[in-house]
Amino acid sequence: MKYIIEFSKTGTICYTSHLDIMKVFKRSFKRAGISIAYSQGFNPHPKMGFAQPLSLGYWGLEEYVEFETAAADAASEPFAADEMLQKLSAIMPEGLTLKRIIEAPWLRKTLAAETTAAEYMIQIPDVTGRTAELDGAAIYENFMNQEEILVLKKQKKKPEPVLVDIKSKIRSLQFQKETDTAAKGQTLHIDCILDAGSESNLSPELLIEALVKRFGIETPRCDMDIARKRLYFKDETEQKIR
Amino acid sequence: MIDRQLDNILKRVEKPARYIGGEVNMVRKDPADVSVRLGFAFPDTYEIGMSYLGLQILYNILNQDENIYCERVFAPAKDMEELMRAEGRRLFTLETFTPVNALDFFAFTLQYEMSYTNILNMMDLGGIPVKREDRIRAAEKGIRYPLIIAGGPCAYNPEPLADFVDVFLIGDGEELLPEVCRIYGRVKEAHGEGSAISLRDAFLSAIVGLDGVYIPEYYSVSYNENGTIREYVKTCEKAPERVNRALLRDIEKVEFPVNNIVPFIDTVHDRCVVETFRGCTRGCRFCQAGIIYRPVRERKTDTIIGLAQEQIKNTGHDELSLLSLSTSDYSNFEDMATTLMGICKSSNVALSLPSLRLDSFSFNVLNEIQGYRKSGLTFAPEAGTQRLRDVINKNITEDDIYDAVRQAIQLGWEHIKLYFMIGLPTETYEDLDGIADIARKIMDINYEIRGRKGGRFRITVSVSNFVPKPHTPFQWEKQDRPEDFISKHNYLSGKLRIKGVTFNYHETNTSNLECALARGDRRMGQVIMNAWKSGCTFDAWTEYFDAGKWVKAFDEAAETAGFADGREMEDFYNYRGYGPAERLPWDIIDSFISKDYLKNEAAKARKETTTPDCREGCTGCGMNRHTECFVNMKAR
Repeated sequence: MKYIIEFSKTGTICYTSHLDIMKVFKRSFKRAGISIAYSQGFNPHPKMGFAQPLSLGYWGLEEYVEFETAAADAASEPFAADEMLQKLSAIMPEGLTLKRIIEAPWLRKTLAAETTAAEYMIQIPDVTGRTAELDGAAIYENFMNQEEILVLKKQKKKPEPVLVDIKSKIRSLQFQKETDTAAKGQTLHIDCILDAGSESNLSPELLIEALVKRFGIETPRCDMDIARKRLYFKDETEQKIR
Repeated sequence: MIDRQLDNILKRVEKPARYIGGEVNMVRKDPADVSVRLGFAFPDTYEIGMSYLGLQILYNILNQDENIYCERVFAPAKDMEELMRAEGRRLFTLETFTPVNALDFFAFTLQYEMSYTNILNMMDLGGIPVKREDRIRAAEKGIRYPLIIAGGPCAYNPEPLADFVDVFLIGDGEELLPEVCRIYGRVKEAHGEGSAISLRDAFLSAIVGLDGVYIPEYYSVSYNENGTIREYVKTCEKAPERVNRALLRDIEKVEFPVNNIVPFIDTVHDRCVVETFRGCTRGCRFCQAGIIYRPVRERKTDTIIGLAQEQIKNTGHDELSLLSLSTSDYSNFEDMATTLMGICKSSNVALSLPSLRLDSFSFNVLNEIQGYRKSGLTFAPEAGTQRLRDVINKNITEDDIYDAVRQAIQLGWEHIKLYFMIGLPTETYEDLDGIADIARKIMDINYEIRGRKGGRFRITVSVSNFVPKPHTPFQWEKQDRPEDFISKHNYLSGKLRIKGVTFNYHETNTSNLECALARGDRRMGQVIMNAWKSGCTFDAWTEYFDAGKWVKAFDEAAETAGFADGREMEDFYNYRGYGPAERLPWDIIDSFISKDYLKNEAAKARKETTTPDCREGCTGCGMNRHTECFVNMKAR
C-alpha cells in the first residue's frame, strides 16, 4: 500500500542532508512498527523516497515523502493511516513536522517523476549593489528584460562549467524590498517558481548567481536564507494531493 | 534554536550536522532546573566520539539525575575551528549551545594518547586557560572556570596531562562520575556566595581520598640526576599514597543505556551496542585493556537480551553489535547468540559479533548471520612464530588458524584479515618471516580447496607497531626506534609480495610518539603544550600529524625537563627501557594488579613460558584481594 506524507523541515535540522533525513524516516518507520516493502533483487532497498531532494541548509515548508508498506491494501494494514501519522509524529526529531498522510494507491510512478516545479523564498539581507536605487518591480524589469540569463553551471562528467540560459526555467519571479530595522541596509525578498524534477530543473543557487552578477550584490551567500515553500506536480497528481 | 552567527558559520562548513545536536533521544533539560552542568567531551570529531559506547553509558547515567545535566562536546573539524576563531565563537555543547566555559565541569574521555593536543585546543576554543595553575590564579581573583576532569583508559597514566587537568577519575566511571557531580552540587550549595577559589578548594577536599580520584596538585614530583623519578611528596595530608582505581563490583548494578542517541549523520558505528561483559582473562602481555578492565564481570543473558530489544525499539537501528574484549568468552555465549539471532532475524536487524573465537559453533552462527554477503574474517595471531606468541602469551596456534581458515574457505569466505604487531620484545627477523609464512600457507590452503586459480580470494595483512603500555607486563620494555620499524616494514613489504596479499602498516612516528605520551611523566606536559602551540591538533589523523613539529616540541621542552636535547628526552621515555626498581610515573595509580605479578609475567616472557587463561585457575594477579572475580558467571 502506498502513502504520501506531507511534512516540513525547519530550524536547525535543515543542516542535515537529504540522505540523512531519509535515514531518519527509515528508522522511524521501523520504530513505529510500520513495515516498509523492499525492492526485489540482490541489493534490496526500502521502497520510499522524497518528491525532491532539499539542499543542505534550506528550509522546506511543504515537503513530501512517499513510501510503500508490505500490506497489499488499506484493509490488510495493521494501522490506519492516521494512526501511522500519530505514531511517527511522536518520535520525529525536532524540526521535522508531519502534517498529513495521504493514501496513494493511485500513484503509479514515483513522486519525483511527477514533480514539475518548486516555489522558493530567498532572503538577501543587507543587499548591496545596483538594487539600491531600484524598487521590486524595477529589479524584475531589469533582470527579466535580458534576452538570455546566462550562468556558469557545473555539468556532470565535464570538468569545466558551461554557460547555460536559465531564463526559460523561471516560471515566476517577484522582488520586494524591506528596510531592516535592526541592521543597516535593506533586505531583498525573492519569491520564485522554478522548474523542478527530471524533465527540467533549476536550482535556486543558479538564480542567485545570476542576480548577484547582474546587480553586483556583495552579500555573502552564507547570509542568505532559502526556503522551499511548495512543490508542483503534474496535473493529475497535483489534484489528488491537494 | 541557534543564533544568526552560528547559522552563518554552519552554512560554510563541511557536515554542519556535526554541530547541531537535536538527534533522536538527545536529553533536553532546562539548565535553570539543574545544579550541576557537565560537558562530556570526546577530543575528536563527532563521528568518532558518537561511536564510543562509554559516552552513551555515562550520558544516560548522569542525566537520570534530575540535578545534573550532561551535555556533549566534540572537537570541531579544522574548517569549523577556523571559522569559530575568526568569528570569536566559543566551543559549545550540542544540547543547548552553551559555551563550555559556562559549565561546572568540562570532562574529557581519554581513549587514545594521540588526542591530547585536541584537549588543550578544546579548552582554548572554550575560552578556558589550558594550564591548571593559570586557572587557579584566575580563581584567586574570583574568576570561575569549569573544573577540568579526565577519565578513561589513558587516565591510568595521568601524568603527561597533569599540568592541564584538575581531577582525574581512574577506573569504572558509572558510580564515581555521578558521585563526584553530586558532591560538587552539595559543596556549591553549602558554599553560597563564597569566592571561586574557596569553592574549588572545598570541592577538591571533599572528593580527595575517594577511590578513583587523583588530584595532581596534591603531589609534587622530584627527579634524580639521571632523569628518573625521585619521589612524590604529598602537599595535602588527606591525599592517598597511591590512588585506588574505582571498581564497579557488579555491572548489573548500574544502568545501561536503552535510549541511545541516534546521530543524523553517518558515524563510525551506527548501531545498537550491548556490553556483554567487562574484563578479559586471557592475559596477553602487551594488552593494557586486559589488565585495567579486570576482573571479568558479566551481564546476565536475560539482561543482555532485554537491553538489545529495548535499544532496537528505541533507536530504529538496523544493526546490533555486542561489545566486550572477546565475544565468545562470554560464559553463556551459545544460548545468548542463538536467542539474539532469533530476535534480530524477526526484527530485520543485522547481528554483528566482533572478535569471535572460531570454533564450530561460531562458524555456524557467522554463516547464518552473514549469509551470502560475507564480510572478511579476522584473525589476530599478533606474532609470526609460536616462540614469539609464547613470549606475548597470545595463546593461539597456527593449527588453530589453519583449521579455521580451511573451514571458512569451504563455507565461502573470500577475504581473510590478519593482524600482527612488530617490535615486540625479543623479536627477530625470523619472527617476521613467520608472518609471511602464515600468509603464504593460507594462500596455499585456498588453492588446495578452490583450485589452481584460487578464485577471488584475498588476504590483508595489517601490521601495527608495538607500543609498551603502562600497567602491563611489558611496561618496562624498550620500544623499537623509528629506523627499526622502517626497516622491518621494508623487509615485510618484500616478503609479502605475494599474489592476492595486501600489506598495510601503521605510521612509524605516530607509534613512537604514542609511547612517549603513554609512558611519560609530568615533564611531557610541556612537550604537549609546545606541540599544541605550534599548531598540532588531530595527531591521530595521518593527514594532520606533523612529526617535525613534535620533534621541535621535544627540543624546546628538553632543557627545563633536565635533558640535553629532545632526542635524549625521547630516548628516556621510549628507547632506554625502564628499570625494575625505578619509580614509574603511573605508580601513583593502583590498578589492583600487583607489580610482582607484572614482573613475574615479564620474566616468564623472557623465558618464553605461557600463563594459562585465569578461568582455568587463578594466576595470582592480585585482583581478588579487592573484589570477587567472575561475578554473575555461569559455571563451566
